[in-house]
Amino acid sequence: MIKTYITHAVWAPDGRAVDACLDPAAEQASPVILPGGIPLPGVSCVAPAGEMPIPQHARVLPAHGKLLLPALYDLHTNIEIPGRSKRECIMRAGEAAVRGGVWGMLVLPSPAFCFDNGAALDSFRAAAEERSVADMTPAGCISRGMQGNEQAPYAALALMRGIHILSDGETFPANLPMLYHAMQYAADLGLIFAVRADTPALSARTYAHPGTTAYRLGLTPCPPCAEEIGTATLLRLAEATGARLHLQLVSTAESVRMIRRAKESGRVRVTAEVALQHLLYTHEDIGDYNTVFKTVPPLRDRADCEALLEGVKDGTIDCIVSAHTPCTPFSKKQDFITAPAGMVWLDIMLPALYTKLVKPGLLSWAELMQACCLKPAAIARPREQEEGAYIAPPLMLFDPAVEFTVDERSLTCGTLNTPLTGERLCGSVTLPLQ
Amino acid sequence: MNPRKDLITVESLSDEEIYTILESAVAMKEIFTKSVKKVPVLKGKSVLTLFYEPSTRTRSSFEVAAHRLSADVTTFSVSTSSVVKGESIHDTIDTLMSMKMDYIIVRHKNSGIPAVIAGHCNASVINAGDGAHAHPSQAFLDAFTIREHYGSVEGRRVVIIGDILHSRVARSTSCILRRLGAHVAFMGPGSLVPPEAHTGVKRLEDWDAVFAWKPDVIYLLRVQNERIDSPFFPASDYHAAFGVTEQRLRRIEGEGMVLMHPGPVNRGVELCDAATEYGNCLICNQVENGIAARMSILYHLTPATLS
Repeated sequence: MIKTYITHAVWAPDGRAVDACLDPAAEQASPVILPGGIPLPGVSCVAPAGEMPIPQHARVLPAHGKLLLPALYDLHTNIEIPGRSKRECIMRAGEAAVRGGVWGMLVLPSPAFCFDNGAALDSFRAAAEERSVADMTPAGCISRGMQGNEQAPYAALALMRGIHILSDGETFPANLPMLYHAMQYAADLGLIFAVRADTPALSARTYAHPGTTAYRLGLTPCPPCAEEIGTATLLRLAEATGARLHLQLVSTAESVRMIRRAKESGRVRVTAEVALQHLLYTHEDIGDYNTVFKTVPPLRDRADCEALLEGVKDGTIDCIVSAHTPCTPFSKKQDFITAPAGMVWLDIMLPALYTKLVKPGLLSWAELMQACCLKPAAIARPREQEEGAYIAPPLMLFDPAVEFTVDERSLTCGTLNTPLTGERLCGSVTLPLQ
Repeated sequence: MNPRKDLITVESLSDEEIYTILESAVAMKEIFTKSVKKVPVLKGKSVLTLFYEPSTRTRSSFEVAAHRLSADVTTFSVSTSSVVKGESIHDTIDTLMSMKMDYIIVRHKNSGIPAVIAGHCNASVINAGDGAHAHPSQAFLDAFTIREHYGSVEGRRVVIIGDILHSRVARSTSCILRRLGAHVAFMGPGSLVPPEAHTGVKRLEDWDAVFAWKPDVIYLLRVQNERIDSPFFPASDYHAAFGVTEQRLRRIEGEGMVLMHPGPVNRGVELCDAATEYGNCLICNQVENGIAARMSILYHLTPATLS
């Protein structure tokens, strides 16, 4: 087994300068213990920088000034690219993820990837194994065909195919009795329900946060209470059934407060995520119908952004996710109402997180690691059904001194729908290291 | 003044352009009194009306305006076109531009469509109403009508009553009136007057507050049932709470206030029958001035097809 020696890197969580030996054979007694008590496999020794004896002819990665840190895990990825084959979608998403410092992702069901049966999961896993350089964990469907009418075969998905998270992708299961019984049934299987809180009756055919932008542009507003009523409903369902709940794409300040109260009560097994776009942008960024800023849920107020970031810092919100959604250039050229919602993030995930949150001091490296590596991996890839323990991430190097402009060359995912096009970002990722 | 290609919103115009268009509308209206109601300003130019939503007065008003400027007018019928087969707006416009149109007058139920079309073709695009966003030609005819009646818009008090939330007329007309120095207020059902609408606009609670404010113009908006998915107010309450009832009409007559409405009127909802007979009800003047205002708008724009 070839060992790789990394010299003069900065261990991101505490800023120590270290040398490390990456050893594929070193499974046990790892010297790197991540928060949560998990030893990082594949690392056989760590020493203060310059003190590690390095054998001749060894593979050495000099990493002066670069950060050594665990790679990210993304809990919310849509990999479907309209008009492309499934194989190409898988390949491009994998490449994009690794470029952005993301080693693994939870792939949510979509019309093209409807994981409501064993065969669909098997064929996806085989294609991901063959095509993707990143780890892809599929989430099973909550309902057959994501139609919200009847439950998918959970026991078959969970026991035979190892599915651990259920989601109906971007659709909210409006059929509450179906969801209630599904949560009762699946609680015993230890399944997590990943759902975006919504009240479809209030949010249907709405396009923006109610505010000056929606009024000025004549866009039907989506009231925050549509999400908050959904949050209350889901928290109550989770409490009543004992099922585990993962709230997707939390976007309002009041939702954060509700989740905080639920966690404090200790009666609800709930985790939550926020999309990077909801931390960085507000409805005012829509400007004059810029369709890049069309998202679901819509971009909200500055106060919501601040409450969401506060939630990430105090642990109310467990994860920051990409909500990566490729949209073709033509589809985004259409009018705001017709254009699809979503942004692409995977290719530039860590540089964007660093440039927009860590560098300005809004988030520490330790907080970022919790929200983007450790907690999402613990939710998506738990070890032996043990909450909090997870498949350990690989290490990566990140050079914050490198600057680049976001353009077609920095986006391999096949589409360009990011608000950062033309902007300068800091950071370059080396992943994998071995 | 740089040549302007498109008219999408009033907001995008300079004060100078607003005054110029209003001034030339006066000259355009004089043509109506001549025995030959036509000038050769747009002779040889092609004007297309592309209406994805039903319309009587706006469409025919634009067509008459274009005819009076000697343009050739083509009417695009959406219901019998490939649009019903799911053709995208970009492909429809590409097809129509192959026919060398100079002006496209567009109405669509989606806010923002005229701007998309304007960015995609060389023709001058005139927004004839997009969703709840903007209706600039209505704004010009309203401002023109008030100016004609009172001699000037500046300092006038105009209250706009009804469905502010869904109304492109409220947005565009309130914008032009404020730009011209008028005081504007909104009144309507709480569910249809969003708090964010009040930037620079006074909120009046009810008719008592309206009369106390002493407006010069009472502008009633149409209740737009086609734009409303779920009930925003109890329908049977509307006339009594927000409409011009016969009792209110007597007070309006007594104080000589002006009544305006963009049409079509829902009789017995926004206005009682007698209100349309009232001498200071300017609805028909609005229609007539609409032609002059739209002639002036067509005259003001410069398609990029000419360069």
